[in-house]
Amino acid sequence: MRKIALFGNPNVGKSSIFNLLTGLRQKVGNYPGMTVERKTGTLTFEGKKYEIIDLPGTYGIYPNSLDEQIVTNILNNPQHSQYPDLGVVISDPSNLKRSLLLLQQVRDLGIPCIFVINMMDEAEKMGITIDQKKMEELLETKVILTDVRHEMGFEELKQAFSLELEESESPYRVPKEFALAVEETIEALNAENSYKAWQLLSQKELDYLADEQIKEIESIRRKYQIIPRRLQVKEILRRYQTIDEILSKTVFQLEPKKNPVTEKLDQILMHPVAGYVIFFGLLLVIFQAIFAWAGPFMDGIDEGFAWLGQRIGSLLPEGPLNSFLTDGVIAGIGGIVIFVPQIAILFFFISLMEESGYMSRVVYLMDRWLKPFGLSGKSAVPLMSGAACAIPAVMSARNIENDKERLITMLVTPFMTCSARLPIYIVIIGLIIPDARFMGFQLQGIALFGMYILGILGALGSAWVLKKIIKTNFKSYLILELPTYKIPVWRNVLITVWEKSKGFLIGAGKIILAMSIILWVLGSFGIGEKFNNAEEIVAQKHPELSKEEFENEVTAHKLEYSFLGYMGQALEPIIKPLGYDWKMGIGLISSFAAREVFVGTMATVYSLGDTDNEMTIRERMANEINPNTGKPAYSFATGMSLLIFYAFAMQCMSTIAIVRKETGSWKWTIIQLVFMTGFAYLASLIVYQLLK
Amino acid sequence: MANPLTIFDLKVGESGRISGFTSQDVPMKLYELGLIPGTFITLKKRMLFGGPVCIQISNSASQIALRSTEANAILIEKLLVE
Repeated sequence: MRKIALFGNPNVGKSSIFNLLTGLRQKVGNYPGMTVERKTGTLTFEGKKYEIIDLPGTYGIYPNSLDEQIVTNILNNPQHSQYPDLGVVISDPSNLKRSLLLLQQVRDLGIPCIFVINMMDEAEKMGITIDQKKMEELLETKVILTDVRHEMGFEELKQAFSLELEESESPYRVPKEFALAVEETIEALNAENSYKAWQLLSQKELDYLADEQIKEIESIRRKYQIIPRRLQVKEILRRYQTIDEILSKTVFQLEPKKNPVTEKLDQILMHPVAGYVIFFGLLLVIFQAIFAWAGPFMDGIDEGFAWLGQRIGSLLPEGPLNSFLTDGVIAGIGGIVIFVPQIAILFFFISLMEESGYMSRVVYLMDRWLKPFGLSGKSAVPLMSGAACAIPAVMSARNIENDKERLITMLVTPFMTCSARLPIYIVIIGLIIPDARFMGFQLQGIALFGMYILGILGALGSAWVLKKIIKTNFKSYLILELPTYKIPVWRNVLITVWEKSKGFLIGAGKIILAMSIILWVLGSFGIGEKFNNAEEIVAQKHPELSKEEFENEVTAHKLEYSFLGYMGQALEPIIKPLGYDWKMGIGLISSFAAREVFVGTMATVYSLGDTDNEMTIRERMANEINPNTGKPAYSFATGMSLLIFYAFAMQCMSTIAIVRKETGSWKWTIIQLVFMTGFAYLASLIVYQLLK
Repeated sequence: MANPLTIFDLKVGESGRISGFTSQDVPMKLYELGLIPGTFITLKKRMLFGGPVCIQISNSASQIALRSTEANAILIEKLLVE
């Protein structure tokens, strides 16, 4: 299959073109050994099949971030599985200069390239005309004008995919003073052309080379006193000179560019005061929407799975298989699917903010306030997404250039109140906070809001601590392009929502499902007489029970003497100072897989067959007596202690897995786990001992 | 000049021509974005409390946000606004 790679600066509509070419025939994976998302898709046109590769947005081939490093690695290594047969460099009319820099660099590395000018509808508005023929002549390649909104120019683009282009006749000319060094590099390392040799001398990261080759390059650098950075600067300055010449002959502008809509919007949205008011107002609307809109869907899913469980339960004969399918598998899958509406809605808004260009403004607004905590304005996006789910949020930290800021962002994002904490908060707040109003505000609502604030404080506080500890060699900076506002392309928004939801279902779902099954096994089996003869023991103790009550009592008894029950009891001495009993211990152990498991587990522990009726769980929990104190198990002190514990503790295996993957380090993953859970333990201990 | 001007010294609405950098070590991204000596820029916005500034390269529709440290690293010659 012919490989076509899409290159381009951020914000030129590269993903729109990729989405339009491939539709849902997309595959999202990871680069081997790296965690940068790899997007590929297929296209069949006029009987030929193409593999389209959507590379991360980049300004040039000298990498500033992990995303850009990927592009450089592929370009410099023809053995790479993603090395393209044809490059498509995508640009937009307002930033042709930068895109031509990228085009020249990619082409000089020996990859034939065509040039696409996207967003041509904007060009008309800005009064820009482009002499396409002249540009093709000067660039010595095909130039295609496209417009995603009206699907203009795509036939021509697809046709161009089969072109066999000749190499440019005017490649990068190495400055005279470096001619000797370049020649020596060509000989010593068998570089194909002088620009490849130049790359070997000017790139800082050359991981794909053998050690001896790197030594060779270093000795040449020493001999000619070459500093890679100076070469890079020199190259860019030289290229911009010729690019200016090309542009002056091909691009004509009637009036100075102005974007009245963007300027007017920015006067409000980036205002030093009003900008923040609008941003926080918008956040409020988004969270309202997440809860209000997702509610009916979540109820529907909950009921749907309960119904499915009952149907299957009644179809199959009673026994371990029946219980495994209904309590283990179906309940497990239901517990994953239920979060999809919230995740979909959150990403709908995030994608809207990104598509419209507002997200860059958020980065601009937040940078000043996040910087003192060792974060960057770009951390605002992961932190916000963390309010839905830490897993996609940690992944979205990738475009932070500075390694220290990126690491801190990933380490503190799990403190943000994710949607999995919500069921626990709702149940416990319902138990310990009275359903009353104070100064017109609902008390329970204030408590929930307080938990969100606590999450933010946890994240910022630990970021501040980490800032003092982590060292870096890289300078932190913020250089951010603020694109003009655009009406979102709905196809892109929908594809993002689809992809993130699917990614969550499959990625996190696997772990949650596996954990539910393990829990079912641990909770359903046990050894010893007390477990095996549960029916008889219960019948002896409580002969007066009705059939249903009897069955519930047996379930509770079995659980107490199951493997899981023993684990909970083993944990009891450690959690007793926090005000918990062994039953909550089981909840803590099982919800280590994922926090939302807590409510379901407590339902099983308190011998309730189904979890879909939250009120009955709540009532049952309210009546529960702590065997250690003889007082209600969910007193105000214990409830607060549990809330604090779940606010801070790293109770999520999926997040641990994703942090390990994204940081590439067990050290930081374990530090995070110990720090979060240790801190949660201490905070809960203090809270319980004070309130008791 | 004893105290050369940087982008950070501009007032909102003022323009200047980039004349160089205070150090050899400024991020490559500045060059790639076209913030190179000779480029005309206008300061469009500035946040309170030393927050980032927002500049526009002449003839470009989009703007670029810079932290105070980056803005302070870019030397300029001031131009009078007409």
